[in-house]
Amino acid sequence: MKWFKYIWIGILFLITAISIPQCMHTGVEPSLVNKSGYQSALDPQGPVAANQLQIFYITLWVTIFLFVTVGGALAYSIWKFRLRKGEDPNYIPPQSHGHPLIELSLVIGSAALLVIIAIPTFYGIVFKNTLPDYAGEDVLEVNVTGYQWWWGFEYPEHGFHTANELVFPAGKVVKLNLISNDVIHSFWLPKLAGKVDLIPGQENKMWIQADEPGYFWGQCAEFCGDSHAYMLFRAQALEESEYEAWIARQQEASVVDGFFPADSGDYDPDLVNQGSLLFMANCARCHSVDSKIKGMGPNLAHFASRTSIAAGWLENETENLEHWILHPDKVKPGNFMWYGFPKPDDPKGEPLMEGLKDANLTEDDAKALAAYLYTLK
Amino acid sequence: MSTSQSTYGIWNRPLKKTGIVGFLTTVDHKKIGIGYAIGALFFLLVGGVEALIIRLQLAAPEQNLISAETYNQLFTMHGTTMVFLAVMPLSAAFFNYIMPLQIGARDVAFPRLNALGLWCFYAGGIIVNLSWFFQAGAPDIGWFGYAPLTSKQFDPDIGTDFWIIGLQILGIASLAGSFNFITTILNMRAPGLSMMRLPVFTWMTLVTSFLIILAFPPITIALVELMFDRHFGTHFFEVAGGGKPILWQHLFWIFGHPEVYILILPAMGIISEIIPVFSRKPLFGYPLVVFSGAVIGFLGFAVWSHHMFTTGLGIVATSAFAFLTMLIAIPTGVKIFNWIGTIWGGRIQFKVPMLYALGFIWMFMMGGFTGIMHSSPPVDAQQQDTYFVVAHFHYVLIGGSIFALLAGIYYWFPKVTGKLMGESMGTILFYTIFFGFNIAFFPMHILGMSGMPRRTHTYRIAAGFEDPNFWSTVGAFILGIGIAAVVIQVIYSCYKGKPAGENPWDARTLEWATSSPPKEYNFGYTPVINARDQAWESKYGPEEKKMGKIAPDEEHGIHMPDQSWWPLILSFGLFIAGMGVIFHNQPMAALVPFLSEEATISLFHLTVPGLALTFVSMYMWALEGPGGYHLHPDPEELE
Amino acid sequence: MSETATHAADPIEELKNTNTGVENKKMAMWAFLASDCMFFGTLISTHLIYRKIYPTVVEPTDIFDIELTGFSSFILLMSSFLMALSVSAAHKKNIKSMRLFLAGTVFFGLIFLGGQVYEFTHFVHDKDLTLSSSVFGSTFYVLTGTHGVHVALGVLWLFSWLVFSYTKKFKWVHAIDIETAGLYWHFVDIVWIIIFTAVYLVEYL
Repeated sequence: MKWFKYIWIGILFLITAISIPQCMHTGVEPSLVNKSGYQSALDPQGPVAANQLQIFYITLWVTIFLFVTVGGALAYSIWKFRLRKGEDPNYIPPQSHGHPLIELSLVIGSAALLVIIAIPTFYGIVFKNTLPDYAGEDVLEVNVTGYQWWWGFEYPEHGFHTANELVFPAGKVVKLNLISNDVIHSFWLPKLAGKVDLIPGQENKMWIQADEPGYFWGQCAEFCGDSHAYMLFRAQALEESEYEAWIARQQEASVVDGFFPADSGDYDPDLVNQGSLLFMANCARCHSVDSKIKGMGPNLAHFASRTSIAAGWLENETENLEHWILHPDKVKPGNFMWYGFPKPDDPKGEPLMEGLKDANLTEDDAKALAAYLYTLK
Repeated sequence: MSTSQSTYGIWNRPLKKTGIVGFLTTVDHKKIGIGYAIGALFFLLVGGVEALIIRLQLAAPEQNLISAETYNQLFTMHGTTMVFLAVMPLSAAFFNYIMPLQIGARDVAFPRLNALGLWCFYAGGIIVNLSWFFQAGAPDIGWFGYAPLTSKQFDPDIGTDFWIIGLQILGIASLAGSFNFITTILNMRAPGLSMMRLPVFTWMTLVTSFLIILAFPPITIALVELMFDRHFGTHFFEVAGGGKPILWQHLFWIFGHPEVYILILPAMGIISEIIPVFSRKPLFGYPLVVFSGAVIGFLGFAVWSHHMFTTGLGIVATSAFAFLTMLIAIPTGVKIFNWIGTIWGGRIQFKVPMLYALGFIWMFMMGGFTGIMHSSPPVDAQQQDTYFVVAHFHYVLIGGSIFALLAGIYYWFPKVTGKLMGESMGTILFYTIFFGFNIAFFPMHILGMSGMPRRTHTYRIAAGFEDPNFWSTVGAFILGIGIAAVVIQVIYSCYKGKPAGENPWDARTLEWATSSPPKEYNFGYTPVINARDQAWESKYGPEEKKMGKIAPDEEHGIHMPDQSWWPLILSFGLFIAGMGVIFHNQPMAALVPFLSEEATISLFHLTVPGLALTFVSMYMWALEGPGGYHLHPDPEELE
Repeated sequence: MSETATHAADPIEELKNTNTGVENKKMAMWAFLASDCMFFGTLISTHLIYRKIYPTVVEPTDIFDIELTGFSSFILLMSSFLMALSVSAAHKKNIKSMRLFLAGTVFFGLIFLGGQVYEFTHFVHDKDLTLSSSVFGSTFYVLTGTHGVHVALGVLWLFSWLVFSYTKKFKWVHAIDIETAGLYWHFVDIVWIIIFTAVYLVEYL
C-alpha cells in the first residue's frame, strides 16, 4: 500500500506538472496576425480594457503578496510543527488560546491592503462609466440590440442598420447604447472592454475605443438560451479613410427594385436571379436587404462585405454559407431561421413567421441563394 | 419502556425502531442526519456525473457529443443539484447528527419537524430530478434562472416548472430545519454550556440557520412570483406586461449571496473543529473566529449586487457594493490567520481529516484571492460570466465546502458508526482529489482571462481554448474517480471498518464524551459543562474543569419522543400538490403517457387533493402530539 | 459525582426551563416570524419598486375603497386586542373568557377576510383590476393575497384551538400553544398595518 501511495501521488504530481505549462501559453500571447481568433482580456487594445487589466494586475500582485506571506506562514508552521518520526503522538503542546495584539494587527494589515485595491477600483468604475473628456463631441454612437442569437447594430447618425459586425474608426470613442429585444444578453469585446448587459426594458451604456486598426472577436456573455454559445460577433476598427468609405457604401442601396441586385458580378445572372426569387419567397419575411429597414432577422444589406456569418460563428465563405442556409439548426441549435419565429403568447403553437424547416430547400437552391447574397456588396 | 398511547391518530404510532418503517417514521436526529447524508451523497454523485458529461463535451473544440439543449440542461441541473441537493443537505446531515451531541441535548427541539425537513428534502430533490423524464427534459435556464428567459414566452417547457416547485419544497425543508436548530441551540444546551463555550461548529450551525431563515424568503417569493407569471398571467418579470427582469436578479442574489455563506460557514465550522484536534491545541482566538463567522453572515446580506456589476447599476451603487464586498475579505482572513495560529506551536498529526482541513485552507485561500479580484468591478467586467468565475467558485465550493465536508465525513465517521476508515486509503484518495481538483480547475482561471465565457456548449477552434479545456477534463475525471472512491470507502468501512472506540482522535468537544455510535438518547446522564473543550479537559484538564453528570430521574428515566408517520405523509402531500402546479394546464398525456385524452390537468386534479392531504396531516400531527416514552439507561453508563 | 434531576411542579414553568427562559415553541415562532418578515418585506418591496417605476399606468385611488378597507383594518386591529385578552385569560386559567375572546378574534378575522373577498371581487368585476391587467394588479393581489392566506390560516388555527378547548384533552399546559398562536396573530396584524400604509394610504398622500 505504501509504495502504491507514493507512486500514485508521483503520477498525479507529474500530470499536474505537465498540464500547467501547457495551459499557461494558450490564448494568452498577443498575436500580430490579424484575425488570429484570440479574444483574450490579457491582450488589451483599447483604454478601457487596458485600465481593467491594469487593475487586475494590481489585485493579482496584492493577492500574490498575501499568498506568499500567509501561505508561507502556513507552509512553515505545517513543516515546523509536524509530528516527527519517533515522537510521542500523545505529547501535549502548550495550550495557548490566542493573542489579541497579533490578531488586531493582522486585521488592520489586511484592511490596509484592501485600500490599495479600492482606490484604483473606484477610479476604474468612474472611468468605465463616463465618456472620457478628450472625446468631446467627437463620439460615434451605435445602438446595439441583442436578439436570440445575433446582434443588431444601428448607426443613428447615418440612419442605417447592420448586423453581427461592428465597424468603427480606430482612435475614436464609440458610445454604445445597449438594449435587448428578448432576453438578457451581454456585450463583450474582451480586447476592448469588459462586458455590459443588454437587458430588455432598460438601456445600458458603455464606451469602447481601439487604439490601432484591428479585427476583434466578441461574444455574448450572459446565458440566453439554446444557442448562447454560438452568439458571437466581430468588430473592426478601421483607418479613418477606410471607415468613411465603409459608411458611404452602407448608406447606398445594395439592390434595385427592392430585391434585385444592381450587378451580378462574377456570378451567372440567371443563378442570381433565381436566388433573388428564392430570397423573396423564403427569407424576405424576416431579413431586409435595405439597410434603412431593420427587419426581424439580421439585416443582410451589403452582406458580401461582411467577414462572418451566423452571428460570427462561421467565416463568410461560400461553402459555409450554403451549409448554413441548408442546415441552420445544425450550426445553431434552436435557431428561429430553421424553426420559425414563435408567437410570444403561444411559443409552442404555429410560428409567427415560418422558418426554413418546411421550405425544403435543395442544394441548388442554396447555391442560388448564396450567389444572390454575394452580389449584395 | 412504557408504550405510547395515541387516540387521535388514524393508526397507532409506529414503534419499530429498525427496518424500513423505523427509518420512514424516525424522529431521531441521528437517523435523520444519516438520511440527509445518504441523499446528499447520492445527489453528489448525480451532479458529478452531470459535470463529467459537461467536461467531456468541452474536452475538444467544436464538439457535438451532446446537443446544446442537453448541455444547457446539464449545467442547470449540475448547479442546482450541487448547491441544493448535495452541499446544503450534507451540511444539514452534520447539523442534525453532530450539533445536538455537541450541546449535550437528547434530540432537537422539534423532532417531528426535523423529520419533515428530511422528507421535504427528498420530495424536492425528486421533483427537480423528475424533470429529466418528462417532455423536453430538465430545466435549461441556469441555476440562477434569470428572467425573462424563464418566462413562458422563451421557455414554454415544463422543465422550468419542476425547478420552481422543487426549489420551493427544498426551501420548506431548509426553513423547517433552521427554525429547529435555532431553537435547539438557544434553548437546549447542557447546563454550564454558555454561548462562549459552544463548539465552533455549533456556532456556525446557528449562524447558518439564521442566514437560511432570512435568505430563503426572498428566493421563495421570487419563485412564487415567477410561478404566477408562468401559470396565472401576472407580469412580475415580463417586459411586455411592464415587469422588470432586473428585479429577479436582485431577489435572487439577496438570497444567492447569503447562500454562498450558507454553503461555506458550516465548512468553516468543521475545519475549526478538526484543526485543533490534530494540532492538539485549542483553537487560536476562539472569540474572534466565532465573531468573524457572525460578521461574514451579517455582511453577506449587504453585498448581493456584486453579482450584478455588469447590469448597469450606476457609479454609486457599483462602488458601494464593491467596497462592502472587499470588507468581507477581512473576517475571512481572520479565520485563516486563526487556523494558522492554531497550527503554530502544535503537534500536527497528518490523519486524513487533517489533510483535508489543510487542503481546505490552501484551496479556500486561492478561492478567496480570486474573490478579492472580482470584488473590483473593473476587473469583474472582464471576469464576470467567464471561466475565471467558474474557477473561483469551484475553488471555494469544492476546495472549500466539499473538502471540509469530506474532512467532516472522515472525522466523524468513527463517531457515527463506531468504526474507523482506512488511513492509507484515505490518504491516497485525498491526494487524488486534491490534484484532480487542481488540474481540473486551475486552467479555468486562464481560460476565463483569455476570453472564454461560461455556460457555452462549445468554443471555436481558433480561439485557442483547447489545451486548458483538455487538461481540465482530465482533472475532472481524476477528481470524479476520487469522490466516487470516497463514497465506496464510506460504504465499505460501514461494514469492514475496525472498531473505533469512544474517542479515537483524542478529540476535544462533547460529542466525543459519549459512546460510538451514540445511544438513542445520546447521553445517559445530563452532562454539566465546565470548559470549552469539554472532552479534552475531562481527560487532561484540572479537576475543576472536568465534566459533571446529572443522573436522570430514577422514576421517570429519560423521556424520548414517539415516532410518527405524519412528517412523511405531509411532505408527500406537498409533493402531490407541487406536481399539480407543474402540470397545471398541461394535457393529461403529459403526466400519464398512455392517456390520450384531450382534457388538461387543472389544479383540482392534483394540487387541491395534495394540499388537502397536507392539511389533514397537519391536524393529525397536532392531535397525536409529541407523545413519548421513558427509557432507563444502563446504570453502568451513568458512572 | 452524579446528582439527580428534579421536575418542576408546574408544567408551564417546566416548559420555561430552557437556557433562555423562553419556551421552545415560542422561540421557534419568533424565528418563524423573523423569516416571515423577509417574506412580506420582499413582497412589499416588489410592490413599492413597481409603484415607483410605473406611477401612472393605474390610478389606485380610483380603484380603492378606502373607507371599507379602513374599517376592516380597524377590525383586524381590534381582533389583536381580543387575542391579547384571550391569551391573558388562558394564563389565568379562565376557560370561559378564553373561549369568548378566542371566538371574538376568529369572528373579527372572518370579517376582515370577508372584506377582502368582497374587495377582490369588486376590483375584478367592477374595476377591471386583475392579476394580469397590469403590474399593479400583479403586485397588489399577490401581496394582499399572501396576507389574506396568513389571516385565513390564523383563523383556522385559532378556531381549531377553540374547538379543542371543548375536548377532554385540553389542559392548561396548552396555554403556551394559544400564546404562540397569538404571537402569530399579532404579527399578521402588524404586517397589515404596514401593508395598509404602503399599499393604500400612500396613494392618498
